[in-house]
Formats: sequence, C-alpha cells, structure tokens
Amino acid sequence: MSAKVEAKAVHKRFGEHVALRDFTLEVEPGEVFGLIGPNGAGKTTFLRILAGYRLPTSGDVRVDGVSVVHERTRVQERLGYVCEQPKLYADHTVLAFLRLMGRLRGLSGGRLAQAVERGVERFALGEVRSRRIGVLSKGFRQRVSLAQALLHDPPLLVIDEPTVGLDPRQQLELRGIIRSFGGDHTVLLCTHQLSEAEAICNRVALLERGELVRVTTAEQIRSGPGLEELFLDSTLQAATGEESR
Amino acid sequence: MTLRLAALFAKELRSLFASPIAYVVLTAYVALSGVYFFQHLLNYNRLLFVFQGEKLGSSGFDSGTIPLQVNSLNELFIPAANDFSLFLLAVLPLVTMRVFCEERTQGTDELLLTTPLRTWEVVLAKHATTYFFVMIMIAASAIYPAIVVTRSQLGLEHLLALYLGQLSYGVAIAAIGLACSSLTHSQLVAAMIAYAIPFALLDFAWLEPQLSESAAALLREVALLGHLQSFTRGVIELRHIVYFAGGTLLGLVVSMASLELARAR
Repeated sequence: MSAKVEAKAVHKRFGEHVALRDFTLEVEPGEVFGLIGPNGAGKTTFLRILAGYRLPTSGDVRVDGVSVVHERTRVQERLGYVCEQPKLYADHTVLAFLRLMGRLRGLSGGRLAQAVERGVERFALGEVRSRRIGVLSKGFRQRVSLAQALLHDPPLLVIDEPTVGLDPRQQLELRGIIRSFGGDHTVLLCTHQLSEAEAICNRVALLERGELVRVTTAEQIRSGPGLEELFLDSTLQAATGEESR
Repeated sequence: MTLRLAALFAKELRSLFASPIAYVVLTAYVALSGVYFFQHLLNYNRLLFVFQGEKLGSSGFDSGTIPLQVNSLNELFIPAANDFSLFLLAVLPLVTMRVFCEERTQGTDELLLTTPLRTWEVVLAKHATTYFFVMIMIAASAIYPAIVVTRSQLGLEHLLALYLGQLSYGVAIAAIGLACSSLTHSQLVAAMIAYAIPFALLDFAWLEPQLSESAAALLREVALLGHLQSFTRGVIELRHIVYFAGGTLLGLVVSMASLELARAR
C-alpha cells in the first residue's frame, strides 16, 4: 500500500521571504524520493506543508488525490511524519509514547498493542521500551520517531533529515531501514547528505532558493557525473542566474 | 474522535503533573486559602467576643447584642471567598502559561499537529485538562467554606452557589490564560498578559464617580468581581453564568484561531 504525491504550484511566503516558489512535483507510489538542496532551499518547508503542519500561501499538495489544504486530517491519516531532530515527549517512556501516538492516530485495543509491539521489534527498541525518551541517545530517539510514524502502517512516510547527528554505524542501519520501506510505502525524505540520497533514493529532486532545479533518477546518477557534481553544477547555475538578474 | 480526545487529555494531564508547577501552585493555593480563612475566622471570633462581652457581665451570653450585619456570611464567608478568587487569579497564569508555549518551544507541536487531530480537538483537550486542574484546586479548598456552612445557619445552597461561581470564574480565567499561551512563544509574556487582562477587568468602582451613569452601568457589567459576588452571596443568576461562559468561549475561540493562524503563517 503506497501513495501518490502531487504538488501543484506550491508557493510559500514567510513575510518578505519566499520559501517555495511555484513548486510542482510528482512522486509515484512506492518510490523512495529524495529532496536535496542547500540550507534555506525550501525542503523542510515543503515536507511541513505535505504533513499539514503549515499551509501553502497558494497552490496545493495532494496525496492520492486528497488535498492537504482542504482535507488536512484525511491526508494526515495516510502519512507518517518524522521531523528533523526528533522532537518527542521526553517525559514519556518509549512504550507510553508509542501507545499515545497510536491512539492519536485512531488505534485502540488489540490493534494498538500489535502495532506498538511491531514497532518495538522492527526498530529494536526492546531494551529501552521502559526508559524515558528524555534519557535516550539520539539514535534511539530517531528510531522511536520512525516507529511512531509507522504505527498505523501509512502508505506515505515523510522524513526530514533522517540521519543527521547519528554516528556512521547508526546512519548505515537507518538507511537500510528506510530503503526497505520502498515499494510497500512511498517515502519522501529530505537530506543534506548527497551520499545518503544517492544510496537510498529512486529519484532525487534538487531545490535551490525555493525552486525545483531538476529531478534525476538513481540510474542517471550512477551512470552520470554523480549527485555531488550535479548539485554543485545546479547551485552554481542558479547563483549565476541570480547575479545576472 | 472520543478516543483521540481522551488520549490527548491523558497526555496533557500527565505533562501537567510531571512538572513541579502543578504541585507548587496547588499547595500555594490551598495553603494561602487556609491561612486567610483562619485569619477571617479569628477576626469574626474577635468581633463576637467584643459584642457579647458588653452583656456578659450582667446576663451571660446574649446573641441579641450582636448587630445583624455581623454574621458568618458577611464576616467570614464573603471575605474568604473574595480572597480565594484573588488567589486563583494570582496562581492560574503560572499553570496556563506553559500549556501551548512549552509545546512550541520544545518543538513537539510539530509532532502533535501532524497527527490527524482537528485543531478544535487539540485546543479542547488542552483546555479541558486545565479546567480539570482548576476543579481540583477549588475542590481542595472546599473544606474551609464547608466548615462555615456546617457551623452556621448558612445552608448547603450557599456552598453550592459559591463553588459554582468559583468554578465558572476559575475556568474563564484559565481559558483567557490559555488563549494568551497560544498567542506567544514566551511563557513569561503569556503569564504577564494572563495577569493583566483579569486584573484590568477586576473592578471599576474606583472609576465610576468620574463617569456618566450609563458608562458606569456598562462598566459594572464588565467587571469580574460584580459577577462573582452574586455567587458568593448565594445567588445564582443566569446572566453571571453567561458572563463567565462567554469569557471561556472567547478563550477557546482565540486559542483555536491562534493555532490556525500559526499553521498559515
């Protein structure tokens, strides 16, 4: 069960600053799709709009045809969201937190217990299940964050900077987990790490100053000049274009 | 929907009692209420002795010597209830200031607002938790007026009226405080506004001599204390209940609008 994501002419303005400019994108069901770009490119803003945390100034994002602007909660039922630097309820134990998030997503009784148990197993949280989230390492908190996002088995998983701050071993582990979601779920993630996008994603979109610069496939990246070169080339072109304007 | 609301209510309750503020506020309120109640009780006893003492020498105890206006309602019940309402006003912003602000400053609002909860559900759960805490506070202080009721001619209806008033008033103050918390990132700013609004609306008696009769009458309708005192005297009137319910509704609406605006910003 995976979802299709369509963003149409999304524009987001914060005061004078334009975070997203006429942003249009399609993500096919089952894809692991990456958004890359320098700081302030609009990656996180787009994910927040998709997750219903922010509204676009204009334009719309649809998940399986359901508009996030007009039917936010219906879209939110279909997605799991992992925000940058996992912001979780530190005073809850892992189990209490997962139960809470399951209930907030409408799970109860046996379904809730099963979903929590599955999450604990899937993300190897058994040894910390009774510990308070506030005392967990960053790696464990990231796993808890992923576990909560997948409790209701959503067709779409949205992840903002999944491996930031993790050690190399944790990064590898987490990349493997995210890659394994592809096919059954659509995964949309944003990252600063080009190697990560290259390793995990089927397709990658490059954003620069709120605009979509290019979309490239994994095959193109592997057979071509590589993501790093594409990134530098595109950002350089964008900067030159900006100067000549 | 009910399940989600109940889950969020439980989470809010857990967060509230995980912080020392709830215990400090509850203890401070009950202790202050007790101390001031005891002070009014001593004053009332002193008055009784003064009036009775005039006749004690000749014919012993004679309640007929005590002026009618010196009674447990005027000397104990009303002043104690007024103090309780001021203490509520003094401590409640310390509870309400964190409710929305903390979620924002810790970034957990991003987690909460990306679950399929409607804005009104989030707001209602947060408000309901705080109202529940107000109920606990008020119930904890009920022992003092209950003593007056059992030891005097005042009926149970007086106690019920007083507590209906305190509850309506406390909930309205909490709702305004929560609205303030939803409007800002700073807990200090939220608390300051939550103090300023009810204190500004407390009483306009000092201003009335400078105003026309119609303006003074209008201000009397706006003043918090005027509406509360009716309950304290054992009178339950619909217009006073509507006044406090209106304040509560305003707090709820502002909180909801504030969350929606934050989403659109």
